[in-house]
Amino acid sequence: MAATRQKQKEQTRSRLLRCAFELFSSHGITTTKTVDVAREAGVSHGTVFVHFPTRDDLVAAVISEYTARIVRRIHELVESGATLQAVLAAHLEGLSEHEAFYTRLITEGPILPPIARTTLIGIQSAISYHLAEAVEKEMTRGSIRNIPIHLLFNTWIGLVHHYLCNRDLFAPGQSVLKRRGQELIVHYIGLLSPTDNKEEGS
Amino acid sequence: MTQMKCISCGMPMTKAEDHAKGDPALDYCFHCARPDGSMNSYEEALKGMTGFITKTQGLDDAAAQDAARAMMANLPAWKDR
Repeated sequence: MAATRQKQKEQTRSRLLRCAFELFSSHGITTTKTVDVAREAGVSHGTVFVHFPTRDDLVAAVISEYTARIVRRIHELVESGATLQAVLAAHLEGLSEHEAFYTRLITEGPILPPIARTTLIGIQSAISYHLAEAVEKEMTRGSIRNIPIHLLFNTWIGLVHHYLCNRDLFAPGQSVLKRRGQELIVHYIGLLSPTDNKEEGS
Repeated sequence: MTQMKCISCGMPMTKAEDHAKGDPALDYCFHCARPDGSMNSYEEALKGMTGFITKTQGLDDAAAQDAARAMMANLPAWKDR
């Protein structure tokens, strides 16, 4: 009996997390109320607080759960010895699976609980590390310009975030990463090449 | 393939070689292992993670250290500190 209750409790917690994630993705993290999450999950408002004592705890749990999935997915997609192109493609694929949520995270970040920003810093370091691994050999060979890792990464993430923050303009009603991702990868790799002056985007 | 997360730095460990000493039974990663294979202390881990953030993202040193402390506070190896 106790085991059944525990299982039900875990199922309710999972359902609350999933419903909160869906509402955060579609309506925004800061504008979604706990009462909306309860309604979506089919539980009483008080039940939310049995599992998450405060709204910030719920937000933190959703961010922690879903960003861990993003990082794990990217880590799985990036094989040892992957090329720069493969790492960039894996990054975009990992993000595109949770594109709406990730976009909310970066656009609302400064007004979210501190854990949101900390979590984002963690994700970015993981991606930058994979990027550094991929370009190290190419830099030594001279096929990529020698650029400090943080600038290499910040240039890439700046590009990606600009498209995500304006996804309604670059790909209305679609995944901007799926529609524009390949163009961004080709452009970015071109920027790193010491001799590549070819025209793009035609 | 494993599905663990390093208890010290949070890195996903999906392959045996991600674990310290390549041993899937160990719950910390190769980045968090000393040369003898034992796990880093808190101070070593904090220094390592701060340096990692600075190198990979170019953050200010103090901001990077604050972020590293906050991340470590949620990791199994350090959350009770």
